[in-house]
Amino acid sequence: MSDTISRRNFLKLSGLSAAAAVLTGCGPAARYVTRRPYYEMPEYAVLGESTYFATTCIECPAGCGLIMRTFEGRAIKAEGNPAHPVNHGKLCSRGLTGVQGLYNPDRIQRPGKRARRGNPTLEPLDWDTALGVVREALNGAGAGVAFYLGLAPDHLYDLVLELTQAIGAPPPVRFGALGMFEARATLVEAVRQVFGEARFPYFDLAGADVVVSFGANFLETWLSPVAYTRGFSQFRRTDGKKRGYLISFEARRSLTSGVADEWLPVPPGTEGQVALALGSLLQSRGWKVPLGAGQVDVEASAAAAGISMERLEQLADRIARAEHPLFLPGGQALAHAGGLVAARNILLLNLAAGNMGRPGGIFLSPSRPDSGSLRDVQALIEQMRAGKVETLFIHGANPVFELPPALGFTEALANVPRVISFASFPDETALQSDYVLPDHTPLESWGYQRTLAGSDRMIFSSLQPVVVPLYDTRATADVLLSAGKLPYNDEVTFLQSKLATLLNEPGVTVEATEIATFWARYLQAGGWWTQQAGLTTPTNQPDLQVEMAQGAAAPEGQFRLITYPTHLGDGSGANRPWLQETPSPSTTVMWNTWVEVHPQLAEKLGLKDDDVVRVTSPSGSIEAVVYLFPAIRPDTVAIPFGQGHTALGRWAEGRGANPAVLLGAQLNEAGDLAYGDVLVTLSPTGRRRPLSRLESRAGVYGEH
Amino acid sequence: MAEQQETRERWGMVVDLDLCTGCNACVTACAMENNIPWVGEEEAGYGRNMFWIRVQRTWEGEYPEVSPAYQPVMCQQCGRAPCEPVCPVFATVHSEEEQINLQVYNRCIGTRYCANNCPYTARSFNWYDYTYQIPAPMNYYLNPNVTVRRRGVMEKCTFCVQRIRAGQEQAKAAGRTLQDGEVIPACAQACPADAIIFGDLSDPESRVSKAARSQRGTTLLEELGTQPKVTYLKGGGYYGG
Amino acid sequence: MAVETQPVSPALNQPAREEEEALREQLMFDPRPREELNRMVMESMYSTSPRYWVAVGVLTALVLVCLVGMWGYMIFTGIGIAGIRKPIYWGVFIVTFVFWIGISHAGTFVSAILRVFKAEFRRPFTRAAELMTTFGLAAGALYPLIHLGRVWVFYWMIPYPNARWLWPNFRSPLVWDFLAITTYLLSSTIYLYLPLLPDLAMARDRTQGWRHAVYKALALGWRGTEAEWFRLRKAINIFAFAIIPVMFSVHTIVSWDFAVGQVGGWNSTIFGPYFIIGAILSGVSAVITILVILRATLKHMDYFIRPEHLDALGKLVLVFSMAWAYFFFNDYLVSWYGGYEVTRRILTLHATGPTAWVWYCMLFFNVVIPWLTLWSRKIRRTPWAMFIITVLINVGMYFERYTIIPMTLGHQRFPFDWGEYSPRLPEISIAFGTLCLFILLYLLASRLIPLVPVWEVREGQEAHKVVKVGKTVVPSVSELE
Repeated sequence: MSDTISRRNFLKLSGLSAAAAVLTGCGPAARYVTRRPYYEMPEYAVLGESTYFATTCIECPAGCGLIMRTFEGRAIKAEGNPAHPVNHGKLCSRGLTGVQGLYNPDRIQRPGKRARRGNPTLEPLDWDTALGVVREALNGAGAGVAFYLGLAPDHLYDLVLELTQAIGAPPPVRFGALGMFEARATLVEAVRQVFGEARFPYFDLAGADVVVSFGANFLETWLSPVAYTRGFSQFRRTDGKKRGYLISFEARRSLTSGVADEWLPVPPGTEGQVALALGSLLQSRGWKVPLGAGQVDVEASAAAAGISMERLEQLADRIARAEHPLFLPGGQALAHAGGLVAARNILLLNLAAGNMGRPGGIFLSPSRPDSGSLRDVQALIEQMRAGKVETLFIHGANPVFELPPALGFTEALANVPRVISFASFPDETALQSDYVLPDHTPLESWGYQRTLAGSDRMIFSSLQPVVVPLYDTRATADVLLSAGKLPYNDEVTFLQSKLATLLNEPGVTVEATEIATFWARYLQAGGWWTQQAGLTTPTNQPDLQVEMAQGAAAPEGQFRLITYPTHLGDGSGANRPWLQETPSPSTTVMWNTWVEVHPQLAEKLGLKDDDVVRVTSPSGSIEAVVYLFPAIRPDTVAIPFGQGHTALGRWAEGRGANPAVLLGAQLNEAGDLAYGDVLVTLSPTGRRRPLSRLESRAGVYGEH
Repeated sequence: MAEQQETRERWGMVVDLDLCTGCNACVTACAMENNIPWVGEEEAGYGRNMFWIRVQRTWEGEYPEVSPAYQPVMCQQCGRAPCEPVCPVFATVHSEEEQINLQVYNRCIGTRYCANNCPYTARSFNWYDYTYQIPAPMNYYLNPNVTVRRRGVMEKCTFCVQRIRAGQEQAKAAGRTLQDGEVIPACAQACPADAIIFGDLSDPESRVSKAARSQRGTTLLEELGTQPKVTYLKGGGYYGG
Repeated sequence: MAVETQPVSPALNQPAREEEEALREQLMFDPRPREELNRMVMESMYSTSPRYWVAVGVLTALVLVCLVGMWGYMIFTGIGIAGIRKPIYWGVFIVTFVFWIGISHAGTFVSAILRVFKAEFRRPFTRAAELMTTFGLAAGALYPLIHLGRVWVFYWMIPYPNARWLWPNFRSPLVWDFLAITTYLLSSTIYLYLPLLPDLAMARDRTQGWRHAVYKALALGWRGTEAEWFRLRKAINIFAFAIIPVMFSVHTIVSWDFAVGQVGGWNSTIFGPYFIIGAILSGVSAVITILVILRATLKHMDYFIRPEHLDALGKLVLVFSMAWAYFFFNDYLVSWYGGYEVTRRILTLHATGPTAWVWYCMLFFNVVIPWLTLWSRKIRRTPWAMFIITVLINVGMYFERYTIIPMTLGHQRFPFDWGEYSPRLPEISIAFGTLCLFILLYLLASRLIPLVPVWEVREGQEAHKVVKVGKTVVPSVSELE
């Protein structure tokens, strides 16, 4: 075996010598992964010593830097990359369990064809045939090809974007559950309206002294949770400064609201109104809020939100006294019919506080976010339903699971003659596909992720294989490039051509004048970023006025539903036993789905802890187990997202319920799902199913 | 070889409850580092979970002023550990070298007395061969530096003693003393809020020593006289302002 | 004992006859010739009904299935099949362990203490009680093995020079336990064996075949010479005194398993005597239970075991029930008064928690029932009533240990980590299996060992005389030795 087999050849060969234990090369010539017998270990490998590779976590789009510890060719432990500007060596539960994805026994191990959709058995296919299928699909009518991509990785999105342009297909639809829950499109649209550019806002928590969060669960999944948790940590610290004060408006005391110094359980959908009321009060305290006199009925808004005027005045005082107040528009506040207005109002408060581009203020991400809104997905579904899509490629997303069934994605899929999934796991969407051409899992892949949402600078965070692919899988980029529509030999060529634009930039971590050196340093450092923090300072659009946002109370007998993502992320974490066993922070429940019901409401409805209850919304109904949660509004119930899989492997299947069923298809002005407006009813089923929880119910709640 | 300065670290930890968000990343990190097996829904709910660190979530106050209090609890590495004298076979012993409590899995015969006697409920027992039930190839990620425990033995947090040893050896090989922050257990390494500080308490200048001297510092169940090496810094904004 | 005195003369005059008849209710005043006593005891060993064999067969099967089988299965799969969990690491196994150790106490107590104090009513049932000690220990001593996570290395607890270069940890109460129990087992077996010698010799002289060979070997060539009797008396006397502190130490040490820990509700200074009293209460009750069964099932036992014995033991039970109540109250009050949060919570939860019924049953069976019933001489002399009462007391004592162990462990200092425990089938099965083992051993022993120490009974009968003082008949006992 020569030392320089090209990557393509390597891929062909890899199937043959599967028994050889291998390490990945990581020198300047590292575009070539060589497989060698174990006795010819790479020179960097010392028997009994670990080897560390820098890569990027793409469990969520935040893109934290990873240092993977590998030992004799096996990935052992994910650790944070201390130099990485997003996470500074820190990680969340999802990133930590990356190896349970890599070594998951339920992975799809080779390409396959499904005789009938929904049939779990895949007929094995050799890659040549599979590539032939892809080539044929791409050769056909350009407009009949559609791509549905997840929020990560970015390089694949860039490649597919070029590919669709080359073959005349519509641009890829990029959407994921995490984006849905944080109402990304709404946030970006509000930023565009307020600051003139469609960018992600970056909130500098670390420099703020009072943070007012409107339903932003920034410690859990919002935008870039590890980065924001880090920011929160700085914000709270007292080394030479005041301890940060967090005020949270959210109907349920989530993890983020849990650490808030003040939690105000406002009804979902009234956050925009509260922001307005606060703005009006702040105006009277000398803030320049673009608000007409008497435009806001503060008392009515306070009443709608269930906050006393006195309390609101106190809050306004505290904010007015603050040097660096910061206002966060979270997904819970935005996913309503009036969500865009709410987002704008909250951003305007930042504007009034003079937060643009100052420490403890707000910045804009360096480039446009690529993700779409649910409206784009809806358009695609329309196309599919109309039979205009001949081939649908799906990568990095599980729309059958994560989209509300009311959108009709699954039904529309039936009208698509050819569905090709690149899933690594037998998820619900792969089950409805004709072909499954498994991609490598992230720890076996090349790529990059532009980390836009959680960083104070421009980053190209690198992905590299930390172990040799375990199975006969193939990089999706290579599969798509094999059709010959783009001028790249392989994935690495594509990556390098993209990265070549970064050559010769001063003040960055990877300074190099030619690509080979750049590539080596880039991989070793875990990515490319500027040495100095620096983001665009937003400029406000002058003639913008705040608008009234309306929140409606839930009718009697119906309750507002909060659906929130957990450490299972977009649901793909459900097949990792350690994510399942990691207790939910606020309820300590493991391995299941629960409905958080306030004890008062439960008493009214005659519900007890561990009762199985049927939750019905106009769109559907699910069964889940009641958890009496003391920190939620009594007129609101909450269900975590991520469980309820019908596929995805042994640890995910048949466990809990999927609240997406309840969510309906109502969109807000920015095209995001108004999942915060969903009303549900609860009816007992008479059955009980004890939840598996870490806490002692007797000890914590005094029940027996 | 030059005379090596005899160094004896007193490893300790500080958990800042004002920074702890309760996110449970430490729990996952610990599990991945220390080959802790998962036990499944039924067993986990029935007190068979194997966590070496767990986040206790209790509630304070009544709605709408109800507030969760998070407290990560792991083995407190007591100076006078209640678990140590009760073991009939010296399976739980005080290590002279690292000044922590070690569990010697090979010696353990499973009387579970230490776990009864641990006031912090920090110990977990291998009721079954959980680790052996991990389906291939998921066992590939098991950390070679940490013993995989078989059934019938007790286990608990070790302050990631394998990392302490590795750090010490590295420093020794380089002919220097350990730097503050060079050794860091998995939980502190992962903690996104950096609420867990680990280091050498015998060095008054180390980060952990300074934090442990904070006025907010308290130890758990101080009245028992166990002399824990973990200090908790009270949270909830009771200070500073 | 070579002196042959005339039993009470039949030629008494008329008025005294009735009183004398009344005295005959007592075994000591109802003497029979030596040969007849021997014959009666031998007959009781020889007579086996089909029911006996069925019982032996069923019990053997139960021991094999419930104890051996289930234990084997548990060793094979892991102790997880039991209901114990975090934070209740000790459950039914340790409860049953303490229970059996408690049971094993009374044998020695009844035998040794009553012997030391020369309580004459002890004579016919010392053997039955001593056997209970040995078998109770045999059943109980299994539990420290059963409850181990890795029973296959149990011998690491034994102090012996080994390849691991390790002694056991002598600071651990479990090692004390191990040593105390082995000491007690050894000494109580010797204490059982010594008084058995003359009876084994008696059996040797009256049997043929394999039994003869066995008894011959076991009797160690006993001939009944003056010197042999002298030495035997001396040895028994020494042992009777020496075994009492051993007995006290054993249960104290068992209580230290709990008391020296820092578990809330365990670290009580009164646990030593509290446990001893509890053990004696349950043990004496168990003696009564067994005597009632023996009397009903074994031939000629109604001669040896009479209501007077139940009466006397019943009084003991009453006294110990009161003593137990005193210690319980003492422990409770001091714990409660201490005001330490964890203890107070535990005490509250004992009485109000989900398994509070166990606690109430304990009090009802251990205090209310004996106090209400055992005042009555009539009840004390009614075998079936005594049977029911003593069984209930033992249930109550079992519940006492259950309260102390799992119900206390489940509610320690962090309410977040509390747990509820309920025993699972393997635990119940194994506990039941050791009960079967105990009964089976007893059943077998009843046909192999003279259950009544004939020589002691005869000794007593010889020493008891009726003396006439004027017209009254006065029972008198001549001091032996």
